[in-house]
Amino acid sequence: MVARAETVAIPQWQRGKLASWLVTVDHKRIGILYIATAGFFFLAGGIMAELIRTQLMRPDQTIVTRGDYNQLVTIHGTTMIFLVVVPVLTGLANFLVPLMIGAPDMAFPRLNALSYWLYLLAGVVLMLSFWAKGGAACAGWTSYPPLSTQCPGHGQDLWILSLHILGISSLIGAINFIVTIHNMRAPGMTWMRIPLFVWSIEVFAWLLVLVIPTIAAGVTMLLLDRQAGTHFFAPSHQGPILYQHAFWFFGHPEVYIMILPAMGIISEILPVFARKPIFGYKAIALSTVAIGFFSMLVWAHHMFTVGLPNYLNGFFMLSSMVIAVPTGMKIFNWLATLWRGNISLDTPMLYALGFLSVFTIGGLSGIYLAAFPVDWQVHDTYFVVAHFHYVLFGGSIFGILGGLFYWWPKIFGRFLDDRLGKWSFWFVFVGFNVTFFPQHMLGLMGMVRRIYTYQEHGLWEGYNMTSTIGSYVMSFGLLLFAVAVVKSLNGIRAGNDPWRADTLEWYTTSPPPAHNFDSVPYVTSARPLNDLRRALQEKRAL
Amino acid sequence: MHAPVRKLSLVVVGAVLGALIAASPALAGNAGFAPVTPDSPNAHTITDAYWFITGFALFVLVGVEGLLVTFIVRYRRRNRARDAEGPQIHGSTRLENMWTLIPVVILVAVAAFVFVKLPGIKNVPSANAAAGRLEVTVSGQQFSWQFTYPNGAVAIDHLRVPLGEPVHLTVTAPNWDVIHSWWIPALGGKIDAIPGRLNHTWFTARKLGTFSGRCAELCGVQHAAMLMTVEVLPRDQFEQWEARRAQQQTSGTARDTLGEEEWTGSCGKCHGLAGQGLYGPRIAGSGTLQDETALTKLLRNGLERPGRPAMPPVGREWSQDQLDALGAYLKERFGSQS
Repeated sequence: MVARAETVAIPQWQRGKLASWLVTVDHKRIGILYIATAGFFFLAGGIMAELIRTQLMRPDQTIVTRGDYNQLVTIHGTTMIFLVVVPVLTGLANFLVPLMIGAPDMAFPRLNALSYWLYLLAGVVLMLSFWAKGGAACAGWTSYPPLSTQCPGHGQDLWILSLHILGISSLIGAINFIVTIHNMRAPGMTWMRIPLFVWSIEVFAWLLVLVIPTIAAGVTMLLLDRQAGTHFFAPSHQGPILYQHAFWFFGHPEVYIMILPAMGIISEILPVFARKPIFGYKAIALSTVAIGFFSMLVWAHHMFTVGLPNYLNGFFMLSSMVIAVPTGMKIFNWLATLWRGNISLDTPMLYALGFLSVFTIGGLSGIYLAAFPVDWQVHDTYFVVAHFHYVLFGGSIFGILGGLFYWWPKIFGRFLDDRLGKWSFWFVFVGFNVTFFPQHMLGLMGMVRRIYTYQEHGLWEGYNMTSTIGSYVMSFGLLLFAVAVVKSLNGIRAGNDPWRADTLEWYTTSPPPAHNFDSVPYVTSARPLNDLRRALQEKRAL
Repeated sequence: MHAPVRKLSLVVVGAVLGALIAASPALAGNAGFAPVTPDSPNAHTITDAYWFITGFALFVLVGVEGLLVTFIVRYRRRNRARDAEGPQIHGSTRLENMWTLIPVVILVAVAAFVFVKLPGIKNVPSANAAAGRLEVTVSGQQFSWQFTYPNGAVAIDHLRVPLGEPVHLTVTAPNWDVIHSWWIPALGGKIDAIPGRLNHTWFTARKLGTFSGRCAELCGVQHAAMLMTVEVLPRDQFEQWEARRAQQQTSGTARDTLGEEEWTGSCGKCHGLAGQGLYGPRIAGSGTLQDETALTKLLRNGLERPGRPAMPPVGREWSQDQLDALGAYLKERFGSQS
């Protein structure tokens, strides 16, 4: 071993501050690259969101033109889903999964690096498409044909290209996660002893492997229709509906790809800050698998208004409702974890509790959408916009922010400022609800999605104004988070296990060395560090 | 549950319920807390389903948020040591069963309600002796709605219907167009207008007056301008209008009615109501407006302009009557300019 290490000595040029990041195959550095890149795309997508909200603040505004507005809506959605939420979760998983299972790295470190660089490339392609001939894609993140086949210019083609590159990146990453989790667990770490976050990444990765091929096929046919004169989605044989099936067979599991890891984060944070074991470990793990499975059977609940026959609408209503059961199970188990705990309200815990409170609202508004006749009223309105921001911002992003505050000391060896963190939480939490709650009402009043302006005054204007002001408050909170990130360069140093947590990543130093662990303890439960602490106590007592 | 928790959770749940009851007058006034006040039986039943779900949703919401707040307040650290461990409880099968079963019961109730009410929402009522049934074909096009009546009368963006008579809409879009979605909130749910597909919906207006709606599926740059209204008329007035419109079309005198609707709905949304240019180029003063052959060719084929947005062939499926109505309107309106 020693002799071998000498022969593969790192060449001089790769040791530079910048070069070492460019050539890295270390899962921790790749994880940080993912998170940082997603941070920049979050800023870009956030600016687009604020342009949208500012345009809609009052009736008949002309802050952006109608053509630009459609581009903003499309790229905002695509960015937040494909370039922010999924990659930042991939980044956290990259950093954490090997550490949590006691492995020295991912199974395929070079593929891991390829995955990141492809993601960056796809992001750059999408952002630069604003400057393409005819502007960026403008048919919405769903890009339904025939609108998307008729889009002039190259924006739509670049959107497809970007999704293709991202698809390859995600597939490679997902296979890497699956192989790593299946083969590289620490001695003694059986499936019922892996951290719940790792369970969520296992399901996340399988979902990606199973559904990315359909979107890849869907957008390939779209590209051929646009450029090669094929007629996959031609009206003459129900083509527009074929695309919607292909898109949503991917698109709905994608929602769970974005929320399951956030739920995994919550399952890690709650027990640590309530000083209790997670309530119902098996139930939470199995509900993750159940949600993953059923998420592939509900896609046409996005298509209740295309005029499917009753039996199909009925089936997709029932299957969508089935998902509510394991989801409810998780929420009740989390509540039970808090019960009789010793709750410390540090920033990670605030975000986790915030997740619980707003995700519940997003889950409940989902029942209205599943009951298809009610969906006929609220489909494609701001009610839906409110619903999916409640689950994707109030769910995924709250979970991610909580996770960043929680693992920052492990990733960088320094804390994010807790006081700034708490301020950021309250601005984000209040701003979020002020932004998105009134959108439920707007939708019920008849405001449809993706309109660049409206003429109605009165309550329409009032709710829109409220929503826009809320979005500014939320942005200010996120700005405070950015300040905390900068300040953390000189933040308080963290020890190995600053939160007295239960999982293996806290066994090594903060930040961990390149090889992660000098030694890995034999794992005897889902809480190896708790076991070690107890053993140590018993030894002292003797 | 410990006694103090029980007490505190009761207080919290009570307070939230009280607030909800206090707010219910505001909710009843419907400031967007329920679908738009329904004026057709199908919309009415959907609103019933909405409230049925809302009952359960509020119950779960108050329960979960109440417990959450209670636990945070009751079990916060206070002056305990940061690392003082709570009781090492790992789970409870009985509780797991309970909170699996209760949601199942609620969801079964919601699904059952939906299935029972579905025929009243979806099935188009058959024509009866008291009131017949009006059949209208609705075609969504960038960026207007075209209505065709059984007697051949055509209208754009403004659908006139008789009071209290079931109206069966066959909703579609031309093969060269994109997907749109028909939605008048007070008269029922949406149905997509998809090229190559015939969808069906219906309503029976129970009130005179005008109801408005919007296209609900992103259909291009002027999606936000694709508005439509339904005007409910007394039966005799409607019949008069329908006969008059059909007669005007065939006799070539529809320029002030259908011609104007076509100009406003099909041309004006992109070229401006005065033809001054908006998203599309300025057309006021253009010779094409007066040249019947050129105009027909343009309307039938649209216009591809490399690198710039294309004009859709808005008139590809128009009848000669429709083309004539627009031509006559344009002559009268812009004739003196050129």
